Amino acid sequence: MKELLRAALDAATSSGATYADARGVEMTSEALGVRGPQVEALDRNESNGFGVRVLVDGAWGYSSSAILTTDEAQRVARMAVEVGKASATALSKPVELVPEPAHQATWSTAIDKDPFSVSLEDKVELLTTAAETMEKVPGVRVGRGTMDFIRQETSFLSSEGSNISQTIFHTGGGIEATCVSGGEVQVRSYPGSFRGHFAAAGYELIEEMDLAAHAQATAEEAVQLLSADPCPSTTTTVVLDGHQTMLQLHESVGHPTELDRVLGMEAAFAGTSFVGIPDLGGLRYGSEHMNVTSDATIEGGLGSFGYDDEGVAAQRVDLIKEGILVGFQSSRETAATTGADRSNGTMRAEGWENFPLIRMCNVNILPGDGGTLEDLISEVDEGIYMATNKSWSIDDKRKNFQFGCEIAWEIKKGKLGRMLKDPRYTGITPVFWGNLDAVGNEWKVWGTPNCGKGQPGQTMRVGHGTAPTRFLDVSTGTSQ
Amino acid sequence: MSTEARAGLPLSHDEARAAARSILDFPGADAVEVMVSASNDALTRYANSEIIQNTVKKELRANIKVVIGDRSATSATNQLDPEHLKAAVARALEAAKASVPEDHAVGLPHPDEAGRAEGVFRWDDATADASPGVRAKAVNEILKIAGDGNAAGIYQTGAHCYAVFNSHGIDCYDAYSRANTTCLIDVGDSTGWGEGSSHSASLVDMPAVAERARDKADAGRSPGHAEPGTYEVILEPPAAAGLLDYLGYMGFGAKSMIEGESFFSSRKGDQVATEAITIADDVFHPDSVGIGFDFEGVPKQRVAIIDGGIASKPVTDRKTAAQLGESSTGHNSGSPEFGPYAFNPVLEAGQSSLDELIAAVTDGFLVTRFHYVNILDRPATDLTGMTRDGTFRIRNGELAGAVHNFRFAQSALGALKTVVGVGRELVSIAPDYASFGSTVAPALRVGEFHFASATSH
Repeated sequence: MKELLRAALDAATSSGATYADARGVEMTSEALGVRGPQVEALDRNESNGFGVRVLVDGAWGYSSSAILTTDEAQRVARMAVEVGKASATALSKPVELVPEPAHQATWSTAIDKDPFSVSLEDKVELLTTAAETMEKVPGVRVGRGTMDFIRQETSFLSSEGSNISQTIFHTGGGIEATCVSGGEVQVRSYPGSFRGHFAAAGYELIEEMDLAAHAQATAEEAVQLLSADPCPSTTTTVVLDGHQTMLQLHESVGHPTELDRVLGMEAAFAGTSFVGIPDLGGLRYGSEHMNVTSDATIEGGLGSFGYDDEGVAAQRVDLIKEGILVGFQSSRETAATTGADRSNGTMRAEGWENFPLIRMCNVNILPGDGGTLEDLISEVDEGIYMATNKSWSIDDKRKNFQFGCEIAWEIKKGKLGRMLKDPRYTGITPVFWGNLDAVGNEWKVWGTPNCGKGQPGQTMRVGHGTAPTRFLDVSTGTSQ
Repeated sequence: MSTEARAGLPLSHDEARAAARSILDFPGADAVEVMVSASNDALTRYANSEIIQNTVKKELRANIKVVIGDRSATSATNQLDPEHLKAAVARALEAAKASVPEDHAVGLPHPDEAGRAEGVFRWDDATADASPGVRAKAVNEILKIAGDGNAAGIYQTGAHCYAVFNSHGIDCYDAYSRANTTCLIDVGDSTGWGEGSSHSASLVDMPAVAERARDKADAGRSPGHAEPGTYEVILEPPAAAGLLDYLGYMGFGAKSMIEGESFFSSRKGDQVATEAITIADDVFHPDSVGIGFDFEGVPKQRVAIIDGGIASKPVTDRKTAAQLGESSTGHNSGSPEFGPYAFNPVLEAGQSSLDELIAAVTDGFLVTRFHYVNILDRPATDLTGMTRDGTFRIRNGELAGAVHNFRFAQSALGALKTVVGVGRELVSIAPDYASFGSTVAPALRVGEFHFASATSH
């Protein structure tokens, strides 16, 4: 691959590119899905290709191909230059990149057990055992189990001299019980919704989750939800579990602090941000309990890597400190707009075929002094505890949001009471985070594998370190 | 259209067939299916009134299914040489052996059973082979119309082909070109939106798209606050298409009906919308963009999913059709977990112009499009999302100024049950998440639509 990338770089620079990078990706993936004793999906994929990104006349061009020959590499590089020249016809200011040292490096995810070395029979048996256990619980209509494994090898060369090789492993798995009664559907999942929990890890993650051991309780909660009382429409104290805190953080902090959104580059599709560059260092985003980092260096995060997709070394930076906005997620193109002299390394692309974008790596809310989940609940006289994300929606400036969870319980005098179904809450981002009353200390790095952004659309795997959180004066219930 | 190699065609029928034939009789498999796809896709993206990203990609893919008795598994590779294809089919074979026998196994289709799949071949050479310069020129025209407004959007051109082969003799091929443009213009305190999509760039009126966005932005200046509540609304075609897409995702497929999660599960045969509403999955409609067969090579049928307001029939693949005792409608999605999918929904046109729909509203709102819609309750078809890029008050049949965006919380079928007018102009909307399929919708006048909260922008 490196030889092919070198040929592409040479063709790009000799065709007029003032900067060029070439990125090759060899991706292997495996996905399993079972329903009860049945295997619904057993899919094993590979996708190999390369992309060439150039600056020509101060404008970007990008071209990519799945055909791995030297001739094709040169053709694609020349096409990238032609694309860049076309971009330059509609350019208000030439793109300038902040400096980044040239890196010669190799980096790999630390794993204990290669997921591709574990037999398919063992994986199928584990999932079907869990799914069958769920379907044996009276009232459960469908029990599902999933596993996903990805190995991505990325080669990166740049005209500035970087030469980087990375191997990243991502593993995910989960179970889900669905109950149907009288036109009502209730779902309960473990350890998280939408195909479970994901991390930069090997098969040890699947073993640690122990899906089969949680199948019975997961299914029983799904059944109980059918007869639970609806979550009331009220304004109250809400405790969120780590999984829902992940989605809350993702949508209302992660996306609004992406510098491309702030600068209007995503305006037509994903939207912009209620935050502006003048807000840096002054905007009160949330309460003093709110400390948020962008950190690609933590172990196990779906956004952990050695170098981003424009060759910038992984970093940890503060985004929000004691409730004040202090940073944005940036790229080499955008960093200078904030006065920074270096990108903080958040450019990633889905596969070989896409142009890198600013993407969350691991955006984390740091643990606080709220203690355990039990401690957070024990201090609430009256409120609601919500768990496991079920739905999300937020406006194009990332301000007005509504979230739904799979399950909730009322809190009375510091104790969990009756179960509640269809819990939802709404809020306005800075008001909601301003009412952050406590962050717990049971911190875990969650992973969400399906963050969409960009045109052409790209799906990214993103990590979030979170602990359970407590918010005051939250509007709950249905909004109809 | 000839399916021989030609400029812009990503892969010819013969090239796809040659790739598939190298593995159709792979030893150890009872049957093998290969779907070969290829695309040349280019997208010029602009924001802040300049081109910010500009990409051209060439993609190939072979999706392989291996059947051994009642067991099956799939694999895929994007390298179409015999070595990679054989390795991929071997991976699927190994996986099929590790799987368990399937209830309701239907194997792979035979040509006699499936019927002859005809390609739609909605194709335009100039669109398939458009150069970066052509796209940049079109974007520059949009930027001129935007004037002092801040413009953002895309202009996408490309060509896609799909071919399905199996060891029982299925052999079908289709290709389409596609042009897709969007334009958002921001004039400070308001934004406007326009979009267009077709198999042919010549049918996408780029200046009209930009002028529409500019006019909306200008009309939307100084938006006021409006109280949330339940109102009569006009949904312009992009907004109506947004509801339609989610309705289809939630419930048009037979698998979700069988599993109890679709509105069809408990309301099949019921009047779920007004009589004026007919929604068909119809790749053969002149405004649709897609292919004439599904991922098993079964010919697609036009399916009237909601017919005169009645929940008539979900789309099926061979597996769900067998469970229902029917024939497949040709809607295998390629995802056995998701099941059949309606890739080309068309909401039938009515009689009214947009102006006539607006003129009939005494007190309500006009919605240009929705943003970030998500599902609250699948069987109830409850959705939430935001309005954006042009939400206007209507008083006494006339637009009466812009308002800040609303969050809505509304059952999609609930809205369709109160429709009192359907527009006569159909608009083809390209899905923003993929290069496959299209949604064709008119404007709708909805009697009751619930806005749950309002924003300050």
